[in-house]
Amino acid sequence: MEGFIIALFVCLILALISKYLSIPAIPFYIIAGVILGKTGLGIVHADEISRFFSDMGLLFLLFFMGLELKLDRIIANPQRVLTGGLIGLSVDMGIGFTAAYLLGFTLMESFIVGAAFYITSTAIIITSLIENRKLMSREAETIIWVTVFEDIVLIFILAVLSASDQNLLLFFVKIALALVFMYAVSFYGKEFLVSILERDDEIPILFTFAAVLTTAAFAIFFGIPQTLMVIALGAAFATTDPDAFEQHARPFRDVFMVMFFVFFGVTIDFTSGVDWFIIAVICTLAVVSKLISGMIIGVVIHGSTLSGLEIWANMISRGEFSIALAVLYGSPVIATTIAAMVIFTSIVGAFTAKYSTWMRKCIISHSRRKALMYHPHNGR
Amino acid sequence: MSAMALRSVNLPGVGTKYEVETDKGDTIAVFFTKTGSIQMYTLQKGCQTPSAAEMSPVEARRLGNILTGAIIEADQESVEIAFSALADLRITIHTFFIPRSVIGKTIENLQVRAKTGATIIAVCRHDKNIINPPPSFAFEEGDAALVIGESDQIKKFEREILVE
Repeated sequence: MEGFIIALFVCLILALISKYLSIPAIPFYIIAGVILGKTGLGIVHADEISRFFSDMGLLFLLFFMGLELKLDRIIANPQRVLTGGLIGLSVDMGIGFTAAYLLGFTLMESFIVGAAFYITSTAIIITSLIENRKLMSREAETIIWVTVFEDIVLIFILAVLSASDQNLLLFFVKIALALVFMYAVSFYGKEFLVSILERDDEIPILFTFAAVLTTAAFAIFFGIPQTLMVIALGAAFATTDPDAFEQHARPFRDVFMVMFFVFFGVTIDFTSGVDWFIIAVICTLAVVSKLISGMIIGVVIHGSTLSGLEIWANMISRGEFSIALAVLYGSPVIATTIAAMVIFTSIVGAFTAKYSTWMRKCIISHSRRKALMYHPHNGR
Repeated sequence: MSAMALRSVNLPGVGTKYEVETDKGDTIAVFFTKTGSIQMYTLQKGCQTPSAAEMSPVEARRLGNILTGAIIEADQESVEIAFSALADLRITIHTFFIPRSVIGKTIENLQVRAKTGATIIAVCRHDKNIINPPPSFAFEEGDAALVIGESDQIKKFEREILVE
């Protein structure tokens, strides 16, 4: 318990520092966990309490993702979502999976590494677009839609990974029934739900918390993955009053997510059995692969490599979803690799996102100078 | 009103975006982000990089008042609302501090509606708001009145009621 409180205070200080420097806090939380836990000082250990908080963090992260998942908007705008999304999926997932397989992971492990390698951090990317005041750029919209696509792919990945050891037909029937039930509740109980959310006492926040936990508990009872069910709950509730649910779920998500990151770091063991060669290759490729996919997306959608560079600069960071995959399905070796990749890419990504405008200017002026040198009369 | 292009998009995770392209080809984009802040970007025609300003909701409302053509003085401010669908109906709401000459008089005594056509819709007294004060309402020292009407009626109110 003492360790837990120490971790909490370290995180509070780190959060203040990261806000002050306006860089993402996620890598710091993980590093704090690594330093306090197994690898470093060994002060903080994972126990029942921390595991509970980490689980809550994951559930609320996914519930929130469900709330944001407005399928009608994606259906209304399929071209933009699909083009960028499919390029990213095939390039990044392809490179990540192939690299992992060639480095000696099994097929299943390579799939998990590839998925974690592919999926970027919506939290980091959106915050940095706002903080760096890049919302207006045409690339920003493309980037946002690509992250939406990734969320949908994540749902499929979670379904595939959790279906692998079950009777498939029964599994999908159970999921379909649960979905029908949740959408029916949201549809027929909409007025009731909205009336609960509009109250200004503690009922809305209590209701939100209870709804997420009850869903998770029922999912375990019926033998269906709780991750998928809380996403579905979020998506179903999004048809009532998503803003109110976001408002009431946000405090839980924010606190529990921090615990989720720290205790992920705590359980990571960098001291024994770590292949630094694998980590170095995966980290480097994680940046390079996004450059390739970013460039292709930039050229295909905006017809410009500079746009591709901008997309790359903002989409390097991996984060919460990669860690979620590591926690749910990863062996210790996978978890270590993904931890290192998340720390590395989110720090590199923070810098590239901050200085991308400057990089762009340098490239433009450089190519102008070049053009003037070779064709002095065409320039300007 | 000219047909300027207004586009609004709801961006998942970010918030709502409004984009206006002016007749001269400049672009202005406003984002109401989920963090509560409001970002405004302006992009001059032919330029590559926009410039941005981040505002709190209060700051954004002030800016909005300025843009609608309202006069903003040190403490007294006014808002003009134009309803383009209703034959360009323009309504002005103005705040006034009650001068000494008016203290003790009621709205009925002052004959506000008959003399000016404007209406006092609210009075702010000691940080409390009295909405729709009755004709028998008497002013006290320190009151501020919120007056609604056409801009001519507001001017008349300022000339005839406040200075006596």
